[in-house]
Amino acid sequence: MKIVACYSNKGGVGKTASAVNIAYGLAKAGQRVLLCDLDPQGASGFYFRVKPSKKLTDERFFTDVKRFTSAIRGSDFDNLDILPANMSFRDFDVFLSRMKNSRSRLKKALKSVDKDYDVVLLDCPPNISTLSENVFKSADAILVPVIPTTLSERTFEQLLAFFDENGLPKKKILGFFSMVQGTKKLHSETVAAMRKEYGKRLLDVAVPFSSEVEKMGVHRAPVGTFARNNAAVKGYDLLCKELLERL
Amino acid sequence: MPDMLTITSGGDLRTLLRDADLGKLHLALDEGEGTSAFALLDTFDAQVAAAGLLLVLTDAGLHLLGGTEALVQERAEPDFIAQMPAGPVTKRLSGIVSPLRTLMTVAEGTLSRHGLRVLDDNEKTHLRGTLWVLDAGKAGAVSVSALTPLRGYDKTLGKVKAALSAAAGNGKVGTMLEASAALRGEDPALIGKTRIVMSADEKAFKAANDIIRAQLVAARRQEDGIGADLDSEFLHEYRVALRRVRSVISLFKGVYDEKQTADLKARFGAIMARTGRLRDLDVYLIERDRYLALVPEGFRPGIGKLFDMFAAQRDLEHAKLTAYLDSKAYEKEMARLEKLFDKTKALSKGPEANRHALDYAKALIWKRYRKVCKIARGIDEATPDEQVHELRIECKKLRYLMEFFAPLFGDAEVRKLIKALKKLQDNLGNFNDYSVQQAALQEQADALAGSSEPDTVEIATGIGGLVTVLHNKQLEERARVTASFAAFDSEETQAQFRTLFKPEGEAKK
Repeated sequence: MKIVACYSNKGGVGKTASAVNIAYGLAKAGQRVLLCDLDPQGASGFYFRVKPSKKLTDERFFTDVKRFTSAIRGSDFDNLDILPANMSFRDFDVFLSRMKNSRSRLKKALKSVDKDYDVVLLDCPPNISTLSENVFKSADAILVPVIPTTLSERTFEQLLAFFDENGLPKKKILGFFSMVQGTKKLHSETVAAMRKEYGKRLLDVAVPFSSEVEKMGVHRAPVGTFARNNAAVKGYDLLCKELLERL
Repeated sequence: MPDMLTITSGGDLRTLLRDADLGKLHLALDEGEGTSAFALLDTFDAQVAAAGLLLVLTDAGLHLLGGTEALVQERAEPDFIAQMPAGPVTKRLSGIVSPLRTLMTVAEGTLSRHGLRVLDDNEKTHLRGTLWVLDAGKAGAVSVSALTPLRGYDKTLGKVKAALSAAAGNGKVGTMLEASAALRGEDPALIGKTRIVMSADEKAFKAANDIIRAQLVAARRQEDGIGADLDSEFLHEYRVALRRVRSVISLFKGVYDEKQTADLKARFGAIMARTGRLRDLDVYLIERDRYLALVPEGFRPGIGKLFDMFAAQRDLEHAKLTAYLDSKAYEKEMARLEKLFDKTKALSKGPEANRHALDYAKALIWKRYRKVCKIARGIDEATPDEQVHELRIECKKLRYLMEFFAPLFGDAEVRKLIKALKKLQDNLGNFNDYSVQQAALQEQADALAGSSEPDTVEIATGIGGLVTVLHNKQLEERARVTASFAAFDSEETQAQFRTLFKPEGEAKK
């Protein structure tokens, strides 16, 4: 089982939309996926029409494996389950370490319901100062959506610096260009410059901007379900492929 | 494995689902892909349906509906399970269908399949399944759907289940056995076990006639299967039914007068007599592999040839019996017997005919039970085999009486006692079978003695080996009889027999 965190230290980069579409893309590719909705602002569960679980605000929730597994909801799509959680970071730590520890009761509980996932995708909250290092330690990969603008370049730089300062393995970071508009000069220049600067820290794929992605909130579904031939959908599919190769 | 809700409905389930009050939930049903042909497969006695399953053959494959998961495998014609291609469906069925029974097409018709979902007010799917609407043009369409909850939505399953039961009210949601019966156009009570309604104060005469009439129906239902030689169970069931008829005639003493009793005994006996040899040969052939395994290697070729002989004899016997069952004489005789028990006016009553069934049953069963105990308690290691055979016969009579009158005493109670009795009977039955088989094989050997066929010596040697093994087996069973009875004769079982069957006013024993 691989843990993939979808994370951005900058808002408005399409992180939640990416997490939703990547989870859907991975499941479509045959991976058994659990998407954990950890970002109360993003609410990836919303896009799957899953109602937030009342149980999740309960303190006892994370000390009780059964409560955890019973909060998981099947999405309307094969191979894709959702944990519609709004949890505190402290809980999030506990959650992660339990996901990771193969002898943990959580892991066993998941196995017992025949739901040992291939990929656990975390839709993380955007705040780096409060986000525990444990997320970065536990995750096998950290997907970082980057809009090719000067500001995004700076926050990506900050994230790498944070990894350096804290002795975290930078190679886990997998940035990808998101909401790319080929017609914008700034975008194409930033992409070229960043690729040169960060090399393997960036995936080859660039997911183009699409107004269809913005309509996800209306459809309450991954973009691939209602705009199959959209360029962004193809971008996410390529991203999934590349991600699986890197894992 | 998630829970699953299988809904079966005589009629169109779609209407039922629409009528059900699902609260905030609602239903989505797709149009399906039009209709196609299907065949319902089962054993004659509906063993698949009795297990809560429907086996449906379509153009696409062989589907098993109603289990905890929808199983499918490639198309295959119905046969004995062991003869059918291996796959998830046949694997599941192998634990359900008797190896002695063949699957057959029991209904044919048209089928439509629809995707079915239960969604909430966010249009989020909670349950999903496929709705099968099967119509064999008999008692209307039958709908079957297995709804599987998506992860975390088990509660919805319970809600829908409750809503459906409420909407169905009038019993539209039925069992698979009922669904199967509707497709077959048969009475669900008939495709399973024969059931008799009996009341405590009805007359013994009526009880006897009701049982015999039901058993006659059961016997006649087997005739086509015997003729078509589908499997050996048709003849077996035919004989069981007629044996029950004869048991009623001989065990229900005084219900018919002496002359009537003797006449009925003789007539049913004559029909039964036609079937005995074929059944014996069937049993041998069923046991072929087991017999071969019993004897040392060297005897096997001879035993193999012996079984080839049996197989050839069996075909002859089958042809003979079929000719008899097809004969005008048989048809006429059966029609006469059926009429006799339908009208019942022509039956001469005996002195016990007007006794209340419950009274009468208690007296018969209690007497028989006492007799079984008396014989059994007198058996030790040294008792001659005749006594053991007598015990076997008495146990059998007791069993029949308990089964006949079970509706009067509560099926569950009686079933418990029958279970205890059955263990003893199995022991006694094995003892008897080994003894009968030795005698029959000896007879076969004697018949061979005068033959000049080249295989004679080899076969005779094989028989010799087999008889020795069977003799040892018989001794083993004999040694267990005392212990078997002791197990049956527990304080608890004694008390239950007393409570259920001891006639009032009879002194404590």
